Amino acid sequence: MTNAKILELKNISKSFGGVKALNTVDFDLFEGEIHGLVGENGAGKSTLMKILSGVHANYDGEIKLRGKTVRFTSPASAMEHGVGMIYQELSCIGPLTVAENLFLTNHPRTRGRFVNWKEMYQRGRTYLKQLDIDMDVRLPMETLALGLQQLVEIARVIHSGADILIMDEPTSALSLGETKRLFELMRNLKEKGKSIIFISHFIDDVLGICDRVTILRDGRKVGTLDNADLSKHVVIHQMLGDEAKDIEESYEKDFAIHSDEEADIVLEVKNARKGNRLSGISFVVREGEILGMYGAIGAGHTLTGECLFGLERLDEGDIVLDGKPTGSISPTKAKMSGIAYVAADRAASLFPESEVYKNISVAFLRQILPFPLRKKEEIKISDGMVAKLNVKPPASSTMLQNLSGGNQQKVAVARWLVHPFRLLVLNEPTRGMDVGAKEEVMRIIKELKAQRVALLLISSEPETIIANSDRILVMCKGKISTEFSNQRISKDMLMRCA
Amino acid sequence: MRSVLRKVGALAPVITFFTLFLFFSLISDTFFTPANIFNIFEQISALAIMAVGVTFVLLCAEIDLSIENMAIFSGVLAASLYAYLKAAHPGMPAFLAQCVPILAAVVATAALGYANGFGTARLGLPSFMMTLAMLLITRGLALFITKGRPFFDIPPVLTKIGSGAVGIFSHTDESGAVRALIEIPVITIVALVFLAVGFVVLKYTRFGREVYMVGGSRKAAELAGINVKGIVSACLCICGVTAGLSGVVLIGRLGSAQAGGLEDMLIGCISAVVLGGTSLFGGKGGIPNTIIGLLTFGVLYNGLNHVEIDIYLKQFISGIILLGALVLNVAMARIKTPDNAVAG
Repeated sequence: MTNAKILELKNISKSFGGVKALNTVDFDLFEGEIHGLVGENGAGKSTLMKILSGVHANYDGEIKLRGKTVRFTSPASAMEHGVGMIYQELSCIGPLTVAENLFLTNHPRTRGRFVNWKEMYQRGRTYLKQLDIDMDVRLPMETLALGLQQLVEIARVIHSGADILIMDEPTSALSLGETKRLFELMRNLKEKGKSIIFISHFIDDVLGICDRVTILRDGRKVGTLDNADLSKHVVIHQMLGDEAKDIEESYEKDFAIHSDEEADIVLEVKNARKGNRLSGISFVVREGEILGMYGAIGAGHTLTGECLFGLERLDEGDIVLDGKPTGSISPTKAKMSGIAYVAADRAASLFPESEVYKNISVAFLRQILPFPLRKKEEIKISDGMVAKLNVKPPASSTMLQNLSGGNQQKVAVARWLVHPFRLLVLNEPTRGMDVGAKEEVMRIIKELKAQRVALLLISSEPETIIANSDRILVMCKGKISTEFSNQRISKDMLMRCA
Repeated sequence: MRSVLRKVGALAPVITFFTLFLFFSLISDTFFTPANIFNIFEQISALAIMAVGVTFVLLCAEIDLSIENMAIFSGVLAASLYAYLKAAHPGMPAFLAQCVPILAAVVATAALGYANGFGTARLGLPSFMMTLAMLLITRGLALFITKGRPFFDIPPVLTKIGSGAVGIFSHTDESGAVRALIEIPVITIVALVFLAVGFVVLKYTRFGREVYMVGGSRKAAELAGINVKGIVSACLCICGVTAGLSGVVLIGRLGSAQAGGLEDMLIGCISAVVLGGTSLFGGKGGIPNTIIGLLTFGVLYNGLNHVEIDIYLKQFISGIILLGALVLNVAMARIKTPDNAVAG
């Protein structure tokens, strides 16, 4: 890190229809610096970065790049000035090769107008080698693990001339090893004089890699601190303000887990196989039990959830619910037999252009609302759920897309709570959510437990698993590697088994 | 200001309709007359029956290209069966001899519509290709049935529906004849019934809601446990039936059934539904939109007959106006706040 300031944001404010998303925020970035940006959902991180990357062209305040005032009107204009963004949902094109993805808009051409494949492969290889990434550039992107796809995307942005790289939650879908690999690349870039803004909910990751950390709360900047002065404790405290106490405790401690082995079995999975991704797993979930299922990305825990809801079909094995085999089920049949499912991919499971109440009534429409559908009745049911889950803003008639990510997730959970069911499968329910919203979702899950529902909590976040499970299965490479029950368990113990 | 603009966006189809209506009323003396207004209603009625099913299909983000030939097939099937029954079973009660062919046409088109649905939802063929194949199949069936000869013997009940009228505000004049102040074409009443049923199903039944949700996001619908394949199949089946029924009604209106002669119904029907603001990408629109679209389409086609233009230019001009109206609709629908995302 040199002492040359490459970027300065001054007094940035931005409102959405009267709501201030950002209020006079300052931010600066040095050459060769990795700068963390943290805050709860809705604190303004994404908005600030969308302004910097040219997505939002309307704002108050000033952006100075290398001392010169600039105003980006589009992501392309930001890119021209060397500001590149890596989105949480990667924007690469799956069926195309790694090399094609590297040269998405500027394929090397022969003297005619044809793509020069030879040169493209060669230059692609050189590009990746410069960043110490070793892979076959002829492979289709979609055959690579997510972590590798991300590295390619970073290489593309860097070689398009970016000096400032904005990374939005880059580690949320990565395994420990992949995260390590990403950090290596980030340090490598830093040595080359590139500056990186690192947005993340994972405080450990932020503290592990960043030189300085800027904390936002409710659209205002709380402060920018040197990493040397920081602990996780301090960051969480600053992020949350006064609410922090309980939550901190849940992060620091190890937990005692305890399960009631006498309770009736609701779900029994016997010898479930699917290709080489699930190799014969068996487990049970009992009434009033939260079974935590932990694993790194690709360990098979997410896939297990998808098979239970009939989204994927098992090659072999039985799913037995309340003593009755469900057979090869579709989502509709799974729902009818009493399985509710909160999907890992939040964006895909909701209807952004429909009202909140329609998003809530959709799953059990046929059970809860008689013909003819009456808007009033529907909104009443929705209002009850909105209040119960503390959805903000508490308006059933707003379009879902107007809600922040965490609140959208609450809606995704709410739709299953309007009608009784036997088993709730939660696939990564807290991914990308801030600490406060996580707690609220977990509060609802605990309530369901008290109602004797069986719960399967699938997550790649150890904190979520430890703090909420009665019993824990750890999955690794398609198998159940360890089971924890009736003991004390810490994050370390869990992660070591994955 | 933005919310006003958005409302205007939703109103674009209505604005288009009134603009065209006003335009033709001003430049032609014969356009805005009671007789011509009912004429327009009559002209779009068969299209309206067909459009009800097309609305379902577009709402769940599919397309049906077989509607026109489905209607033709259905018409010739009913007419040929009627002719057969009259010849082979002369003693059959007139009621049965008329109803059986109609019912047979409905059942046949329901089956073919379901086949469209099966191919699309279960076999995974794009509906564009599946219904294109069905277009050829139904056209072929119609040709096979007719062997190129038209049927002129149409069940009288269809003639009554197709070209009859119901008089209201009737009174007896001096000579003792009953005269009606307004004569509503029966076919228009039938069309209104279909539109009303379609409206209720889409707005007030759970099936209708699921159609919208499937069109809004197929993946999300699946994740909510909606039977997506079932919904898509059902919509294509409904579309087959409404196309078939509109074909049956049409032979009554035209007085003959032949393997052709309904040119433009496919283009007309889909453009009418889209003109009303129902999205080709699913999830948005509905029967009220379809009604506006049908009226716009009707005014455009009828209106051009009331202005003096080269008859050989008529299609070209209606194409241009249609294109303009569609562009306007799309442009208006796009008026949204660009910053409608919430901070996060």
